[in-house]
Amino acid sequence: MFLEIEHLTMRFGGLVAVNDFSVNVQKGKIHGLIGPNGSGKTTIFNVLSGYYKPTAGRIFFEGKRISGLAAYQITARGLARTFQNLRLFSSMTVLDNLLVGMGHHGRTSIWQTLFYPVAVRREEKEFLDKAMNLLDLLEIADYAGDLATSLPYGHQRRVEIARALATEPKILLLDEPAAGLNEIETKKLREILGKILDSGVTIFLVEHDMKLVMETCETITVLDYGKKIAEGSASAVRNNPIVVEAYLGREDVL
Amino acid sequence: MPVTSIFIQTLIGGIGIGSLYALVALGYSLVYRSMGLVNFANGDIYMAGTYFGIIWYNGMVRGLHLPYPVAFVIGVLLNAVLGIIIERIFRPLQKLDMMFMLLGTIGLGYVLDNVFTIIFGATGFAVNSPLPDTPIILFGIRVLPQMLLLISVSALLMVGLQVFLAKTKTGKAMRASAMDHDVAGAMGISVNRMNAIAFAIGSGLGAAAGILAAPIVYVSPTMGAAVGLKGFAAAILGGLGSIPGAIVGGLVFGVLEAVSAGFISSNWTQAIAFVVLLVVLMIRPSGIVGEITVEKV
Amino acid sequence: MKKKMNITQGVLLGVAACALLVFPFVAQNSYEVHIINQAGIYILISIGLNLAMGYAGQFNLAVGPLWGVGAYTAAILNTKFGFPFWVNLPAAIILTGLIGAFVGLPSLKVRSHYLAIVTIGLGVAINIALLNGGSLTQGAMGIPHIQMPDFFGYPINSDQRYYYLILVMVILGFFIARQILAGRIGRSFRAIRDDYMAAKAMGVNTAYYQVLAFVVSAAYAGAAGALFAHLNTYISPDIFDFPATLFVLTLTMVGGMGSLVGSLVGGVALPILQEYLRVIQNWQLVAYGVAIMVVVIFMPGGVIELTRRLSGWRKNRLALVDRDASG
Repeated sequence: MFLEIEHLTMRFGGLVAVNDFSVNVQKGKIHGLIGPNGSGKTTIFNVLSGYYKPTAGRIFFEGKRISGLAAYQITARGLARTFQNLRLFSSMTVLDNLLVGMGHHGRTSIWQTLFYPVAVRREEKEFLDKAMNLLDLLEIADYAGDLATSLPYGHQRRVEIARALATEPKILLLDEPAAGLNEIETKKLREILGKILDSGVTIFLVEHDMKLVMETCETITVLDYGKKIAEGSASAVRNNPIVVEAYLGREDVL
Repeated sequence: MPVTSIFIQTLIGGIGIGSLYALVALGYSLVYRSMGLVNFANGDIYMAGTYFGIIWYNGMVRGLHLPYPVAFVIGVLLNAVLGIIIERIFRPLQKLDMMFMLLGTIGLGYVLDNVFTIIFGATGFAVNSPLPDTPIILFGIRVLPQMLLLISVSALLMVGLQVFLAKTKTGKAMRASAMDHDVAGAMGISVNRMNAIAFAIGSGLGAAAGILAAPIVYVSPTMGAAVGLKGFAAAILGGLGSIPGAIVGGLVFGVLEAVSAGFISSNWTQAIAFVVLLVVLMIRPSGIVGEITVEKV
Repeated sequence: MKKKMNITQGVLLGVAACALLVFPFVAQNSYEVHIINQAGIYILISIGLNLAMGYAGQFNLAVGPLWGVGAYTAAILNTKFGFPFWVNLPAAIILTGLIGAFVGLPSLKVRSHYLAIVTIGLGVAINIALLNGGSLTQGAMGIPHIQMPDFFGYPINSDQRYYYLILVMVILGFFIARQILAGRIGRSFRAIRDDYMAAKAMGVNTAYYQVLAFVVSAAYAGAAGALFAHLNTYISPDIFDFPATLFVLTLTMVGGMGSLVGSLVGGVALPILQEYLRVIQNWQLVAYGVAIMVVVIFMPGGVIELTRRLSGWRKNRLALVDRDASG
């Protein structure tokens, strides 16, 4: 078992955002999580990445329990995420944004920083090479020295993904990576998702772009009012009357 | 004297000094909730207001000795005007980072402090109470009449403020403006005007606090520093931006100080008050009355 | 990515180095040297404050009292136990750093103005502890007769000689700060300042780095305290109260919060400005207050950003604090 969410419930005061939700994400696949606005998708991501402590339920990653760990510990276990509304480090270059993500692999201590700079420089060099490789993978290496927030929107989305990959995750949680992208950029994104998958990283995808979800995800889980209402392949989900019902009369249409 | 009487006496002293903190705390909270500005010059505005009132009463202007209530009203009004002027100066600060608000408002505090030092001298003076100096003795408890005046007028002002905010048109407009600048603007409320009124009221309350406390404390250009810091701590303790919070916070802070001074050691009074503040914030980061907000991701 | 120095910069640096080295000999009197020594001490505190506030976004408004902890550590070790400066300096750094960790713990729970008041409050508590430390701190009277240091038998017993000690310390402090900022620690600091939640998601142990920011700023204040105690030979609690914090905060912001060079500029400029303003006597502090407001309202990045803006020098824009993001 790779990533398992067991009977997750998340309550804020009187509001139940996620209600007894369970899912299994298979290793090496792209797993989609869809649902109308406010159905609890982002909340699930926030619980997964350790921002919220679940009200009830447990989460296991590679057989080990991760619910209750601090966010940075979860990242260290191999879960990384992007944000729906871009959250790049605004005072830093693209490259530095990635280097922050690599930081937790750092082995040099504060004492070495102060008294043995050679070791630190060696480590920095290693990080730098890895970061440049990632930027190459996402085809934004030309922007390495630019201020991250000065890039065009579509490229900032890619920096977000690159930064998450810099933490060297086993699973990548993507929160609406196609939001705000035009058709060409979305096509590019699909290519990138393929490359990431090929590099051995599993993807858990929250997305509103149904075309993208239907074409890339092998398994899709549908959420409504915090509850799982359907799960299965693209065609199975598309033809499920309950799913159609959930989306009918709302702004999102399958 | 029995221990309970001493305790009650200490308590009354605490409520008195707490009323002072509460009025100053209201100055912070009114301005904060109206324009999101943490005004660290508030202590100096309190000092200015004290002078604006006391000089008419104390014969410092052409030897005039106006009656205390008249001097009180003049002081409050003059300080309200000062507040309106300061609002205009601080307008560019609203959108800046906390660090800059801190320093910008402190800069103005410096200016006020030193202008008053130049005009009135660095050495302070004591002020005679308009009421008798002999304590009233009730059930074996001794209380200064001025202390009772401070407590009762402060209470009146606080009730008055609540009624003003809840019932009058301007008060309601101020609340709307504090809640959402854009919506208020769309409704035809001038946000800048509401901010100016908040500043005027906050400064007026500071002046009232200072003039009422002047016969008990000691008037000097540096009197604002400690009271300003404690007023801010009180506002935070109650929940910054909350009107009832400022009042509760001020009273709690005053009583804490008085009790710890009376029963533990006056040397550690300030430290104890701040340690309590720290503990409260650790348990409830939004203060006693403030709303708890969930961090948005 | 490394910047190479060109010839003009090299020459400028050489001239600056010479000027720094000969300063005590060309100064009009030892009072001028004394002012510059004080400035050096402020620069050290300011560098620490800049690391915590300018880079990591952590309000440490207890640096004044923490400076006092360093000074008292050195003073007590010297006058009560006879230890020399060279023992007291590391002791002051370590002890102040430890207390800095405690001051930093609330940053895990509260932020912004709440953190500001909490650190101010803890500073007040530290100051009161110095005042009420009994025979150890000698109350409001303070501790007199602290010995000036001795360098392998060579007494550092004048402002002129002390100047070089402070110069070495400031240069050391500056480069250590650069070292800290250059690598992982500096990036983690800035990540926390830019976006606290995103930093967590990127695997940054935010709690550790927040407390570390406080420890580092306290350690700098501690070093400055030991230097101050052995220079001044007399210390009392009132030197290290909240206005001391304010002074360092002001000079840091005037120089440039989020720029180490800003600490150098502000640290030298403000004490000197104060001396010049003595001419206008009482109006000095009024002018000082007005100057602060002008800086905050019209050039929030401090002198450093202003010089950049004027010269159109955009290369280093990345080192600037992004005002929009740190709110």
